[in-house]
This record gives sequence, structure tokens and C-alpha cells, in this order.
Amino acid sequence: MIEFILRRLFQGALVVLGVTATVFVVTRLAGDPVALMLPLSATAEQRAAFSAQIGLDQPIWIQFARYAQDVVTLDFGDSLWQRRPAMEVVLERLPNTALLVATGLGGAVLLSIPMGAVAALRPGGLVDRLTTSLSLLGLAMPQFWLGLMAIMVFSVMLKWLPTSGFGTPAHLVLPAITLALTPLARFTMMVRAAMIDELNKQYVQTARAKGLTLRRILRVHTLRNILVPFLSISGWELITALSGYTVVVETVFGWPGLGLTAVQAIQRGDLFLVQAIVFSIAFMIVVIGILMDVISKLIDPRIELN
Amino acid sequence: MTSKVLAMSASLAALVLSGLTAGSATAQSITIAIGSEPSTLDPQLRDDGGERQINDNIYEALMARTPDGELIPGLAAEAPVQIDDTTWQFKLREGVMFHNGTPFTAESVVGSVLRVIDPANNSEQLSYFSSVSGAEAVDELTVNIKTSGPDPILPSRMYWMKMIDPGYAAEGDLAGVPVGTGPYMFDAWNRGADLTLVVNPDYWGGEAQIDDVTYRFVPEAGTRLSGLMAGEFDVITNLLPEFTTSVPKFAAVPGLETSVFVLGTDNEVTQDPKVREALNLAIDRQSMVDGLFMGYATVAKGSHVNPAAFGFNETLDYYPYDLDRAKALIEEAGAVGKPLVVIGESGRWLKDREQIEVVAAYWAETGLDVSTEIQEFSQYLDSLMGSGPRPDAIFIANSNELLDADREMSYIYHMDGAAASNSDADMAAMIDAARVETDVDKRKALYDEAQQLGHDLNFTVPLFNLEDIYGMSERMDWQPRTDAKLIVSEMTVTE
Amino acid sequence: MGLPMMSFRPLRSFLSELWQDKAAAIGFAVMVLIVLMAVFAPVLAPEDPATQSLLQRLKPPVWDARGSWDHLLGTDNLGRDVLSRIIWGARTTLTIGIVTCVIAAMIGTTLGLWAGFMGGRTDSVLMRLVDIQVSFPGILLILLVVGVLGPGVWTLIAVLSVTNWMVYARLVRGIVSSTRQMPYVEAAEVIGCRPSRVIFVHLLPNLVSPLLTLLILEFTNIVLAEAAVSFLGFGVQPPDTSWGLDVASGRDYLFIAWWLVTFPGLAIVVTVLSINLFANWLRVTSDPEEREKRFARTIAAKRRRRRAT
Repeated sequence: MIEFILRRLFQGALVVLGVTATVFVVTRLAGDPVALMLPLSATAEQRAAFSAQIGLDQPIWIQFARYAQDVVTLDFGDSLWQRRPAMEVVLERLPNTALLVATGLGGAVLLSIPMGAVAALRPGGLVDRLTTSLSLLGLAMPQFWLGLMAIMVFSVMLKWLPTSGFGTPAHLVLPAITLALTPLARFTMMVRAAMIDELNKQYVQTARAKGLTLRRILRVHTLRNILVPFLSISGWELITALSGYTVVVETVFGWPGLGLTAVQAIQRGDLFLVQAIVFSIAFMIVVIGILMDVISKLIDPRIELN
Repeated sequence: MTSKVLAMSASLAALVLSGLTAGSATAQSITIAIGSEPSTLDPQLRDDGGERQINDNIYEALMARTPDGELIPGLAAEAPVQIDDTTWQFKLREGVMFHNGTPFTAESVVGSVLRVIDPANNSEQLSYFSSVSGAEAVDELTVNIKTSGPDPILPSRMYWMKMIDPGYAAEGDLAGVPVGTGPYMFDAWNRGADLTLVVNPDYWGGEAQIDDVTYRFVPEAGTRLSGLMAGEFDVITNLLPEFTTSVPKFAAVPGLETSVFVLGTDNEVTQDPKVREALNLAIDRQSMVDGLFMGYATVAKGSHVNPAAFGFNETLDYYPYDLDRAKALIEEAGAVGKPLVVIGESGRWLKDREQIEVVAAYWAETGLDVSTEIQEFSQYLDSLMGSGPRPDAIFIANSNELLDADREMSYIYHMDGAAASNSDADMAAMIDAARVETDVDKRKALYDEAQQLGHDLNFTVPLFNLEDIYGMSERMDWQPRTDAKLIVSEMTVTE
Repeated sequence: MGLPMMSFRPLRSFLSELWQDKAAAIGFAVMVLIVLMAVFAPVLAPEDPATQSLLQRLKPPVWDARGSWDHLLGTDNLGRDVLSRIIWGARTTLTIGIVTCVIAAMIGTTLGLWAGFMGGRTDSVLMRLVDIQVSFPGILLILLVVGVLGPGVWTLIAVLSVTNWMVYARLVRGIVSSTRQMPYVEAAEVIGCRPSRVIFVHLLPNLVSPLLTLLILEFTNIVLAEAAVSFLGFGVQPPDTSWGLDVASGRDYLFIAWWLVTFPGLAIVVTVLSINLFANWLRVTSDPEEREKRFARTIAAKRRRRRAT
């Protein structure tokens, strides 16, 4: 186990290293941030001064050395856009993203288990068909579209919920639902399939023959057996959410999280902030991956860790 | 019973809409949706629209403008006097206090001026104050501002310099907790979400009507509109013309921006004056105003200089729409089938992509082989101002904050200007002369002449003077300003 | 097993089997329709998708009181025909999807074959590489890279291919390393077949069917990713058309022109849904184990029904 964790940590370090190097190369190749940061009317001298101020006039290897130092000390310099430490911006926005993801994915997890289980009880039945169709539909809907449709219906037409923004629980509802739908569909399908498999297994048949209630079988045996695959798929969903669709959902709803901030930083050519954000997200992804593996192993020691 | 239920559901609704719509007789609060969050609240360092929209209410400058653009004294007690070629003298208003209780004096002005122009601060606003070289206090309420050369438009420049308390700037948190002299005081800033100001009860000009104002940062026009329709916002900026019929209330005002194509006069195809003339004649500007802007723009009158600016040549003719003549000119120039590359960007200015695409389609009708390149913004900036070859035609919506023709002249007509695509030395000489001419009439004459030249040689393809449109909730009463400032003390709520 | 469409008879049996599952059959039919729509876009589209008309802006669909038969699904903010844009958008979407999937599958298959065939150190290094790349923050990196290369169809294809080859590598490597232990492959190696012959004659045929299934399943991911990236403004650029791009440009008009956002979005939903329906069926059909289960379930269902009547 210890050896496994060490190996995963080493591998995780490689990932973070790879990501940070990639980000460095990409941001230095990207267009001149100086032109983007200064007003249209700035003079050539102002541009040169600004370039020197943020260290872009140095040779690339010196820039990389500085950057490597930044990564080690977790200090990515000042955001060009906000003029304060990039890490401060990241730490300020991170809880917002965490809140959104936790609510969305948490809700999806909680809902999917009963939905999948009920559907699995009678495969091919009405409930099952309904659940399956809805799940397939959920998987086919792009979040950005779903979010816009939700704004149109629930905010503009019905005026039930705010259109965008942040601050009250009401602001959280639409973004969380939009974020939750795809994972909910995937979780439900997964729970359903796993349950059907489990319910057809010998031990369930035996247990039922022994007279145990279905509810008890479900609770004691079946649910535990699907816990591990469920956990790994939720870990994977969490990773995709962090690295992908929070960006989209936050952009649609103006939710001040890391994803929206990342898009704004990219648009504004704020390379230091971009570096800090990508580094933080890569770091979280790696940590989540390791945690998921370890937890799976703790739950079910038979799992071969490789 | 019924009234109880009503009251309950009303308070519930207020809760859901985060209390924004629940105005009461005692405290009037409004919510304004603006396009971008300030990067800092320091009023002197950045050239940042979001920062300006908020700080315009917290801070004041020596000069102010009336809603329709006339320059009047602000923190200055009267119009300044130019006492010699390089000195302007300002008398200050008496009894003005900063929000922290410090009195506003000549020393505050000196501190503010020196802080902006201090090279160590590297202020992005320097381009507004390029001529300012220093300031000195004459007495408690008199201050001299020095310029490096004769500067006829210094009073306009001072309209852009916000007055800070130098003592607070040195010790306090100017970037996070601003302290000014204006009608509103800073209250709270939840980064990423919103920012609140409260009324300054001791304002020298009298207490404003609205008690507190919350700013929300909403980049998308569509989202701002949805929020207005859902009752979350009272004022939204940059309303699209199409929506004027959908919103509860709106107001439009001629703005600071003029859209224009700058033509490369040394490029293979566009070096021929006939081709450039054809490009100006081939556009049906009026139908673009009607179709694209629903009438909320005016056709630029023969020049890209803002009509409200000093130095605008009102005698120029409109470029007529004459497709046949344009085709004939292209034929004469032997340019049929020759390539013309149109460069532009998207999302920065009102209907920029639409204007570019529509104009490119008009130009294609003349017989030129027109291709459009919508560039990513940093790439676009490089095309506009970089040292590479000048584009055949590049789009820009030029903004004239100082309302003086010098901006359009130096930036687009002067051969050394960052966005200029010509190499006309005569033109450059006229602009240089006008910049230091202190005689108002002579200066005007120079600008008139330069504009006539640019018009006749078709250096640019001026399109429209754009209007700023604001959407408002039913209860708002406000006439927006030419200079696009959102001055909350000029707004009232009727309920 | 799989999708052998080389001759007529297997095709017919494929179709008749597909017909058993109505949902999959509908999915397949819609899929074919969308492909035809993309192929014949120039003939089918009533208008050029880029033609603007300032006088015809924001016209609602035909069934609206203000709509007209000239524009069945209305027009957008530049007076372009929404229906024509959707038809042409199918082209962009399918092209990007197919090209990306094929490139990603080729990269993945090659590396997977190599890893599975060589085993040992090569295998572990390559698979570690896969692990590392899987942990990269996907869309964020795509946005960054697009920021450098400049947006456009080909940038998008390149970036999406480079970020999506890993699944294929994993699949191929898994199959190869298990097939290699099959007696007939071992035998071939013992009698001295060249590695290339072993790969092409003995290993590849086993890969065709699972690869095809994975390709189709992955296709929907690419469609959704393309739409999302284009929506954010980092993907397909005008004057090219894309459904994601159209949703983005219709966003500002959400309130007065619901059709601008609704229809391109529906096009994405219908495409992805129909492919998913078909791919799910295909996955089950091409997997003997899953097939058995499905068969068992059908029998059980029939029995239940019989008992009920």
C-alpha cells in the first residue's frame, strides 16, 4: 500500500511537472500579453517598460528558471489583469468552484443511486425505460445549451431564479443543476447496469430464496459491491468537471469560479494567472486521482493496484 | 388573510431575487449591471472601463462635463486660466472634504498630479496626461499645473484626472478601499460577484437621491438583458438596439465611439486613390444604420472625428452611396479581381463583426476580390498597431474621451500614429502644428484643413457615430451622458 | 460479429437485427439522415449559410405569426437563414468529428499496438504517458493551445486529436497483450512470422470491431467538445458555420429570438442522441457476453409477458 501510494505520488508529480512545462511553453508562444494589457493608446516606451516590468524581455531560459522557482514556491507572480498575486486570485475563486461542483456532483450522486436502483428492479419496465431515455437525453445535451435554456425558462419567463451571478443559494440552483445533469445521467446508467448484473448473480438469488427481503439484500450486499466502480466513475466525473465543464457552466452563469476566471485570463493574455490556475487544477486532479485509488483499495482490498 | 399571504409571498420573492426588487420608501437601492469587473479601484493606475464606471461616483476631477458634453468646473471653482504658455492656473472649490474627513486643498491636487505622472507608477492613464510635467500649490486653494509645451486642451485632460488624498494614497489601501470626494462612498466589494457604494451625506453638492447602489459584473449583453427582464437590474449598459422594444425603459445618447476602416495607402491595391474612393462610395451606410442599428447610430459626416469633439469639420460632405460609380472607379483603376484583405476583430465593440462582414460584402460588389479576416484580439492589436505591414483595410471603433480632434488626428491620420496607415508628411505637419497651437481659431482651422485632406484622399472609410443605449427598469429615471459615464447622482428612482 | 458490411447478406442480417431494437434503429436512421444532410448540404440548403440580409434580420420560424416560408426556421442577427446554417453546420461538425476520431484512433492504435506488442519497458513507459496525459486539464489546455495557434477548424482538429488518443491506446494495448497469449499467435511467432505479419494478420482483425464501437462512442464526445469550444469562442470562426458557434452568437438574442439558440442546440442533441442510441446497441451486439445477457433478458421478458396474459 505504502509503495503504491509512493508510486502514485511520483507519477502525480510527473503529471504536474508535465502540465506546468506545457503551460509555460504555450503561454510564452501565445501572443504578446503587453499589447493586450495596455490601452490602445499606450506608447512604444510604455509597452517596453511594461514588458521589462513583468520580465518578458529576458531570455527564455531565464524566464523558465524564474517560472520553475515560482512553481516550487507556489508564487506565480502578480496577475497582470488584477494586479495582485495570482495565487491570491486562485484561492479566492477556488471555493466558489468547489461549492458549485460539490453541490452539482453531490446532488447527482445522491439522486442517481435510487434512480438507477429502481430502474434496475424491473429491467425493460416503464420506470426503467423512462430513466434510460432521460439519461440518454441528458448525455446528449451540451451544458452550455442546457444552461441557456434554463435561464430562458426559469429566469426570464418564470422569473423564479436569478439569471446569473453569485451570492445567495438561489444563485446556485441553475448552475448546479446544469452541471449535474450529465453526471447524473452517467451515474444512473452505471448504477442501473451494475445493479442488474448484481441482481442476476447467484448470491442474490440464494439470498432471496432464503427469504431475505430485497431491501436488505440491496443494502447489505449489492450496494457495497457497486460502490467501488461507482466511486471510480465519480472520481472521473469530478476530474472532468474540474478540467472541463465548470469552464462552460461558469461562463454561462457568470459564476465567479476558477473556470470563468481561466477563460477571462486567457482572453486578457494574463499568463501568470493562467499558469497559476492550470497548475492548481492539475494539482487537484492528481490528488483526486490518488485519493480515489486509495479509497477503492481500502473498501475492496481485492483490487489490484497498478 | 389574503394580505398576509401576499405579504409573505412578497417577502419570499424578495428573498429569491436577493432582495433587489424590494425597494422601500426609506432607503432607495438600485443595481447596475456593467460589462466588466474593475481590476483595481485605484483611480490613477489603469485604463479600465469597469474601474472608471465605479470610481466616477467616488472620485471627482478638477473639471467636469454636463451630460451633453460641455466642459464645466468640477472641483475647480471656476474655469482655469492659462497664465503663460506652459502654465494653467486652477482656483479650487472651498469646503470640499474627502470621505475620510481630510480637506481637499491645493496640496491634494499637487499630490494627485505627481502620483499619476510618476514614472515609477507606470500609469496607463499617462497617455491622457502626456503633456503634464508638474504641479505646484500657489496658496491653500490655488494650484498651477505645468505642461512641457503649450497645451491647449489641458482643461479637457484634467477632466480625466481623479483627485485623491495623497496622505491616504501613501498609507491606505487605495486599490481596495477607495476614498474620494464624490457623491458616493465605497461600501463593499465581493470580488467576482458585486460591489456596493453608499451615498455620501456630506457631499458638497448636496446628498444624492439614491441611497445605495450595487454593481454586478455581467460580460454578456444577453445575460444583462435577461437580468433586466427578470427584475434583477435597474440599469444595464450596452443594450443591443434590437432590444429597445423589449425592455421596460431605455435611453440612447450619441456616444464617444466612431467606427471606421483605416486604409493602407501604400498597399498594392489601396494605394490607388480611385480604389479608396470606390470603397467609400460602395457602402450604403444609411441602410446599415436602419438595419443593423435600428436607427441608433448616425452616419459619420465625411470624417471619423467625433462630431461632439473640438476641431470637427462640419463642412465636409457625407460620402454618398453610389455603387455604379464605385464599380467604374475599380474598373478605371484596373483593380477588378484584385485581392483586398479586410481585417477586424469581434466582440469588443457594438456590432463590430456585423459591421465588418456587411461592409466586406458591399466591397465585394465593386469587383474586388474581398476576403475578411476576423482576428483574435491580441493578433488584431498587432495588425492595428504592430510594426508589421499595414493592412489593406482594418476596422476600429475609435473612442474620443477628451472630445478633442487631436485623438483621431494623432492616432489615425498622423503618419507616425499607432493606427495610421498612410505616409503623408503634409498631413503630419498640420497635426503637429495644431497640437501646440494655443489660438483656438487657428487650431480649429488646422484641423479643418487636415480633415478636408483626409476626406479628399480617402485615407479612411468612416462609418458611424455610435450611440450608447442603456436599458432601465420601469422605476428608473435617467438621461445618459455623451461621455458614457454612469453618474448615479444624476439618476432618480420613481416609486 | 461487429459491423461486417463488405457484402450484401451480412448487411441485411445487420439491418434485420437492428430492427429488433427500435430505439437503435431510429438512432441509426437519424444518423444516416444527418450524414446525408452534411454530404448534400449544397443541394439541400435553401440558401447560402453566409448570405446576409439586413432587411431580413431576426425573422421567426414559419409557424410564428411573423414568420414566412422563405425562412423555415427563421433568420439570425445578420439575416442568415437558420435552417441553411444548421444543414451546413452538420458538415463542419461531422468533418471535425470524423477527422479527429480517425487521427486520434490512428495515433492511439499505433501506440497501443506498439506498447502491447513490445511489452516490458516500452509498454510501461507508453502507458505511463497515457496516464499522465489523461490527467491533463482537458478543455483548459485546449483553450490555451487554441490561443497560441489561433482558432479555426484545423487547429481544433489537431488539438482534439492530440487530447483524445489515449482511450484508443488503452483499448488496443489491452486487447493486444491478451491476444498475444492466445495459442495461435504464440504459434505464429514461434514459427518465425515477422512482427508486422503477426500484427496485421493475427492481431488487427481482433481489433476492428471493438475499435469501431469505441470510435462511434468517442465521436459524440468530440461533437460535444467541438460545440463547447466553439461556444466559448475558441473553436470554429465565422464565416465558417458550427452549431456551437451559432448558439454562442444567438446568446445575446436569447430574449427576443429564442430560435437562434434553440435550433442549433437541438441539432447537437439529436445528433449525439441518435449516435448514442446506435452505439449502445452496437456495443452490446459486438460483445458476445453482452449479447448473451441481452438474449437472456429478452427471453425473460417474453416469459413474463406470457405469464401475465
